[in-house]
Amino acid sequence: MKKLIVLGVVAGFVALLACYGRDALGLYRLMDHIATSSEAKEADSGSWPRLTDACIGCHGRQGHSLHQGYPSLAGQPAPYLASQLRRFASGERSNPNMGPLAMTLTEYEIQQLAGYFARQSAIGNGSFKPEAALVARGEQLAATAGCAACHGDNLMGHDQFPRLAGQGHDYLLAQLNAFAQGSRKDPGGVMSAIAATLSADDRRALAHYLAALAPAEN
Amino acid sequence: MAGKRTSTPYLDLKRRQMLKFAGASAAIGGFGLCSGLASASESTRPGDDAEDVLDVAIIGAGLAGLTAARDLHLAGNRSFLVLEARDRVGGRTLNFEVGDGHVSEVGGQWIGPGQTAVQDLARQLDVGTFPQFYEGRTVVMGGDGRLEYDLGGTFGTDMTIADKLSEMSHEVPSGAPWQSPKAAEWDRLSVGDWLATQNVQPEDQSGWDAALTLTGGVSVSKMGLLHYLSMINSADCDYEKLDSIKDSAQGTRLIGGSQILSSKMAGVLGDQVRLQCPVRRISGWDGEVVTLHTDQGRVRARKVIMAIHPALCNQIEYEPALPAARAALQRAWPAHSPARKIAMVYSRPFWREKGLNGHILMLDGPIIWAWDNSPPDGEIGIVNAFISNANLPSDHETARRTLMDIFARAWGDEALQPVAYHDQDWGRHDPWSLTCVSAIPPGFWSTHGEALHPPCGNLFWSGTETADIWAGYMDGAVRSGHQSALQVLNALRQA
Repeated sequence: MKKLIVLGVVAGFVALLACYGRDALGLYRLMDHIATSSEAKEADSGSWPRLTDACIGCHGRQGHSLHQGYPSLAGQPAPYLASQLRRFASGERSNPNMGPLAMTLTEYEIQQLAGYFARQSAIGNGSFKPEAALVARGEQLAATAGCAACHGDNLMGHDQFPRLAGQGHDYLLAQLNAFAQGSRKDPGGVMSAIAATLSADDRRALAHYLAALAPAEN
Repeated sequence: MAGKRTSTPYLDLKRRQMLKFAGASAAIGGFGLCSGLASASESTRPGDDAEDVLDVAIIGAGLAGLTAARDLHLAGNRSFLVLEARDRVGGRTLNFEVGDGHVSEVGGQWIGPGQTAVQDLARQLDVGTFPQFYEGRTVVMGGDGRLEYDLGGTFGTDMTIADKLSEMSHEVPSGAPWQSPKAAEWDRLSVGDWLATQNVQPEDQSGWDAALTLTGGVSVSKMGLLHYLSMINSADCDYEKLDSIKDSAQGTRLIGGSQILSSKMAGVLGDQVRLQCPVRRISGWDGEVVTLHTDQGRVRARKVIMAIHPALCNQIEYEPALPAARAALQRAWPAHSPARKIAMVYSRPFWREKGLNGHILMLDGPIIWAWDNSPPDGEIGIVNAFISNANLPSDHETARRTLMDIFARAWGDEALQPVAYHDQDWGRHDPWSLTCVSAIPPGFWSTHGEALHPPCGNLFWSGTETADIWAGYMDGAVRSGHQSALQVLNALRQA
């Protein structure tokens, strides 16, 4: 019986192809895309409707943001993501867009989202166009400031310390500026202390280097 | 890269000529909007003397604030000021000047059936309307797939599900969803929770997420069911009047672009609209005279109309602190829908000659919905699109090329020859909007609803979010402006 239905569908499709040619091929590909992508999404983040779909507009599909100003969440350590969501909700980290959204999340949802984005592989910041001189200057500054001491080898992040390699340039710069100006504070005060020693040009160079740095395999 | 929002390779010369013309008009009067710091020679302007006490100060020169100001003016009151943080009026409406007198909106732009407040205002201001173009085939894209289909001026929604929502919406009053007899049951649920019980097929799932993202500000999982039903209630309890094109809230456009409503109202008010004047602190709101601390000094007024988004109200410092319930509402008010909208301009709407309507629905791509936003006569071709913010590079040129290539796949190689491109990301351009519509989550109205309308001392809450019908729309903004003008006039009478 099932086979008959399949044959019927194929026969119908061949007839359509004869009539519409290119249009039918486009339709076939569209239907194929819907089937393949909904299966892939189901395997990746569960059945529809998905909580993660509330994040992808600003943070990109699977947490891969193509926008320098909206941060990528893919491959960020789960403990870091969870604590940032809690800090947005409590107001300890102030952001007018994220604050109210984080307040809607239950602890279970926070764990779910943090785990989901931590599982995604970090990819390079392909749409960033770095300037070589700034990258070189930023690399020196990162070594002097000892970024890797907290952010780990290759600046891939771990535990409460975010991945910096390949993050969006505008986002990195905004955070360095916020630490320097005191509008963002980290619990230990280390970032505030480091950022305060950097000039505006230094912060720019550092953001440039970090945005251009290719994430290592993790 | 953040700075560049427009590229007009062929229109730069035209633009320089236009700017010259604009400079000349400003010199002979123009709108007469004042900006910059008050100087001694201008000290006769109302509110300049710190000892002056105005009847009314209005915060925000968007549609709500300017409608309120216009009503006060029509009532004969001249003792008011409109304080605007930006260097322009119009709030979340914004015209992109294409050149040769053509415009495309890159903010709020449509009106529709039942939106009688904004329709009346347009008639009074002598602003004409015309239908959103939809005749022809829409292109649906996903992966390598492409389908041309005549949707007849709709988004192709599964009407069996939409009809159920319309029916349910009868029980959720648009202006006060928390008063619905079903509030306890429905405010616990997201739209996604409810759709999960409706056997939505895989090919329709993306459609619901896209529809809710555009109309509600977030995908189905974080959109409150009670709030969404209140939006359908605004649309005369008819889903299609909310979320379709023909005979719907996306069905009608304003000649001259939607920002023209605000520009015209501000033009009459002259220097009673003060630009680049953000309010940072409000003191004494519980006393007889309220003091507004702005970047251009203090302004004192008996009554204050707060014609700004609740999340922006939350950024102002209040002395004394606001009542706990109102403060909690402002702090929790969602602002995570920073729409990114683009306009691509062509010398003519070439797609129309192929039977295409210039609309694209895209699955899993940077475009959520693109549509033909050409001027009424179709003299030039303009495509607008809602963009999934982080799924298109922020780099201006890369974004332009990516979109051009998609348009070429949809409509042919003529799409590779645009004459201008504009990219407006409302979440990043300036801090004075934060968000487009309000993605009210489950539970919000049950917790915070009662704090939405009651004035706090001499602060009167306005803005489209407070409207009794069409909250979140331009029509709601106009309604809230009328409402707050009535409220302050009555309060002044009683004082």
